[in-house]
Amino acid sequence: MAPERRKYARKYCKYCEAKIEYIDFKDTKLLKQALSERYKIMPRRLTGTCKKHQEMVELSIKRARHTALIPYIIDRKSVVAHPFDQLQG
Amino acid sequence: MTKKYELLFVLKPTLVEEELQAKINYLKEILEKNGAAIAALQDMGTRRLAYQVQKFERGHYGVFYFEAPTDSILEVERNLRISEDFIKFMTVKYEKQKEIRHWNKLVEKFTPKTETKTEAPVVEETPVVEETPVVEETPVVEETVVTEAAAIEAPAATQETTEA
Repeated sequence: MAPERRKYARKYCKYCEAKIEYIDFKDTKLLKQALSERYKIMPRRLTGTCKKHQEMVELSIKRARHTALIPYIIDRKSVVAHPFDQLQG
Repeated sequence: MTKKYELLFVLKPTLVEEELQAKINYLKEILEKNGAAIAALQDMGTRRLAYQVQKFERGHYGVFYFEAPTDSILEVERNLRISEDFIKFMTVKYEKQKEIRHWNKLVEKFTPKTETKTEAPVVEETPVVEETPVVEETPVVEETVVTEAAAIEAPAATQETTEA
């Protein structure tokens, strides 16, 4: 029974794969990987990020939120199609 | 004790370019007055804020990278709070080895080109000297010699050279 179980691709840490040493809070592209559509921080069990990078990304996301680089939350009032594209402009 | 910091600030979007420059210089003066050695200034330009801040939709972002005594940060932040043109700011401390390496990288990236010439080679040369010539050059040089002598025995010969 056991070998039949895993039919989806194995999760892995994307930050480890890219060999990222330090996640900068100003680099919103990097943070995007760990955020949901509604800009919530995605849990490790869903993204497969390793503990080390998850902690790092959590801290940087919180910093980026504080400095208005990424939103705290997206509610129905302010839903946009591509929020990141707009932030760049 | 001095530590490495970065100070991100957001200026009001209503300011004219000259005023922006004046405000940035004002901040620079405050930093220097408190004993900070400024390494680099990153100008991120005017960009949209992710949410409204003091009813503003946009803001002018900038980042200072500097080394400063630890107790000076409080004083700098106090000054920033008084000023109304800075709608947001944040100081981040770079303390661990990894963080400092990243800080150096950022500083290198955003220093004007004249300064990078003096700084960059010093940082870059040391790892290059340590690693690449020892590992790469010796097999490359001797492989060419070996291939001239006997092309078939080349892999075996390279193994010997690496052992020696």
